[in-house]
Amino acid sequence: MTAPLHGVRVLDLTSGVAGPWCTKLLADYGCEVIKVERPGTGDPSRGHGRFPDGIPHRERSALFLWLNTSKRSVTLDVATSSGRALLLRLAARCDAVVHDYRPSDAARLGLTHHAFAAVNPRVVTTSVTAFGQSGPYAGWRATNIVSYAAGGQHYLSGDADREPLQNGGYQAEYQAGTWSFGATLAALWDARRTGIGQQAEVAGMEVQASILEIYLPDYAYRKSLALTTRRGNFSSAVVGIYPAADGYIGIHCMPKNWPQLLDAMDAQWMATDERFADNRARLRNDDELSAQFFIWAGGVTRREAYAHAARARAPISPVNTVADLLKSEHLNARSFFREIDHPAAGTMRYPGSPARMPATPPEPHRAPLLGEHTLEVLGELGLSARDICVLSAAGVL
Amino acid sequence: MVWAGPSGTRLLADMGAEVIKVESGRSWDMLRSLHFLGGTTERWWNKAAYFNHNNRNKYACTLDLQTERGRELALRLVAQSDIVVENYRADVISKLRLDYDDLRSVKPDIILVSMPSHGKTGPESHHVAYGTNVEQLAGLVSITGYPDRGPHKSPIAYGDPNAGAIAAAAALAALHHRSLTGEGQHVEVAQWEAMIGNIGEYVLGYEMDGSTGETLGNRHVSRVQGVYECATDDEWVAISVGPDAEFAALCGALGQPELARDARFADVVSRRRNHDELDAIVGAWTRGRSQDEAAHALQAAGVPAAPVLKIPRLMENEHLRARGFWESVSHADAGTWDMEGPVWRMSRTPAHVRVPPPMYGEHNTWVLRDLLGLSDAEIAELEADGVTSREPDQGVHA
Repeated sequence: MTAPLHGVRVLDLTSGVAGPWCTKLLADYGCEVIKVERPGTGDPSRGHGRFPDGIPHRERSALFLWLNTSKRSVTLDVATSSGRALLLRLAARCDAVVHDYRPSDAARLGLTHHAFAAVNPRVVTTSVTAFGQSGPYAGWRATNIVSYAAGGQHYLSGDADREPLQNGGYQAEYQAGTWSFGATLAALWDARRTGIGQQAEVAGMEVQASILEIYLPDYAYRKSLALTTRRGNFSSAVVGIYPAADGYIGIHCMPKNWPQLLDAMDAQWMATDERFADNRARLRNDDELSAQFFIWAGGVTRREAYAHAARARAPISPVNTVADLLKSEHLNARSFFREIDHPAAGTMRYPGSPARMPATPPEPHRAPLLGEHTLEVLGELGLSARDICVLSAAGVL
Repeated sequence: MVWAGPSGTRLLADMGAEVIKVESGRSWDMLRSLHFLGGTTERWWNKAAYFNHNNRNKYACTLDLQTERGRELALRLVAQSDIVVENYRADVISKLRLDYDDLRSVKPDIILVSMPSHGKTGPESHHVAYGTNVEQLAGLVSITGYPDRGPHKSPIAYGDPNAGAIAAAAALAALHHRSLTGEGQHVEVAQWEAMIGNIGEYVLGYEMDGSTGETLGNRHVSRVQGVYECATDDEWVAISVGPDAEFAALCGALGQPELARDARFADVVSRRRNHDELDAIVGAWTRGRSQDEAAHALQAAGVPAAPVLKIPRLMENEHLRARGFWESVSHADAGTWDMEGPVWRMSRTPAHVRVPPPMYGEHNTWVLRDLLGLSDAEIAELEADGVTSREPDQGVHA
């Protein structure tokens, strides 16, 4: 059994989070991904950390190690014409190229879909950026917070009386990467059938705007501002995060879950209380309902709440820390984490792949050392050891 | 149903897949009930924008899968399909006798994508969860928050669309494998697991130093950044500055080039250390401008910045307008309005909203007569027997 995308070759011209997350997913699911890194320093995420013992080392950065599993690394200065020529030779042998260039940079480097298609008409070019390849912001610079701000999720997050709050980590970038993974596969599906490639463009701003839950659809349709404000940790009393005796728990109760929620809380008396008789009454008495949840949550541990939830089949869950994940009986029973050894960073438990495919299980392996596969990949292009030495001496590799 | 599955099948429907949504009178999509139009509106179940945005480009039929006839017809649809996507609780398709083996018996190379919150196996597989629970379970909430406060939720039920996008991609990967080998499979997207990767660097960080990670709020490990209030209250601009050259550009845009030589801000370490002081200076400047003026001025100088768009501004936004992101849709019951277009932007095969969101049971006749070959008499009998319906049981989501 091999991973599902075995035999698909991808040229990866991305760095940071969004693009590498897309190509990591492609690589873990079986694509042969050739990651092109800047000579000398490589992907900036090699400097990001965290690091074992807190000591920076470009082969030991948690962000890089996570986002670049299963790839091969080639160093190549794409801004030189020698580097660009090699890159186009690689593109000619690939099914897809993934890049994260703004259009001005792609044009300056001569690394556009047009250029790739000229050497390989079947090639799919995925572009993953915050603002896309056209429009007035196409030249804008972005980081995660900038992308998050523009996509509409940022304003909606946080307390009403405080500044908007960014999600933890790099969620704007991860979203762009996840959606680019699917877009690449859709374009590859079409290219396989037609023999003609195309550009699959993903703009993080659009991805985020397309998943504003009920908030954007409701405004778009009713033009009501009712659901366009920040509401802290509570969408309403029945959808929120409450402090428990030893941490926090989350409750998400839709009308059909109400009996189960009361069962979990052992609060059947509320079923006959007219303040909470139906969904409309509960919304009208939101504060009083909220008070009941605060009282109940404060008296149970996260584990107790979760056990009650399991018994009653109520949607209540603990707010897990990363330490809780690694200890989770459930995730470990499912063998979710995978131990991966790395010559510089050692053995660590990595999260498993997001979709299980039993006929074609993904088999992620460690991230590459900087330029680890330069000789191998250029050798596959037919370059002699002598040519490769010339390129190295000239600073192209 | 609800959000996770529909958001994933929407991506496939946008690309041209013929997606048939199956509901029934006693098991219909809860999103149809979240309409905020009041109880007296006629056929309100066809008017909920939350449902309509997530189900455009699809067809909808009704089949009560708990009846023998409904189940049998569903299997006949399966026999004509490439992919089946379900996001019921983990045990439901087994109870309905529509598990992978049942589907495979009528379509040997079927691809079944299941999306239970906790997965089909393991000691917690019987738990139930929505998208907000998923991000709580996955650890994201524990690293989100104001630095002086506890954990904070995402503004959306983030676990849902995340699992949906993974499910759509996994379905395409399974199709790829099927096209080479003729082999289908049962893909499982446990929504909890599908979200953990989005904070994978925190898991590795914990493996390295035993720390669960710092809650940074709007800040960053090396850059100086934040959201800054503009001339209008509660209107913000996000600004993020890293290397010295970017900081010099910021100082230029602020009209205070001397700041770049100020000892408090002279290098990345000093800037990070004196973040609060820098925030006050930047905030004083943004207070004199609109979010758009500030973002444009900063970007023109080479500084990463963007308006923190509230939804009305997002829908007016010049960039998305210029890109033709919003598409007008006309719907027999709900009227005409703008919704977001497909986000997988294909240059040669561009996608659009081709099919308006389906009304409850709208395509019953097409499915039963044209796809399954039933006679008008059989179709009428199914309706009389309650296997199909034209209106949902309104009590289900009251």
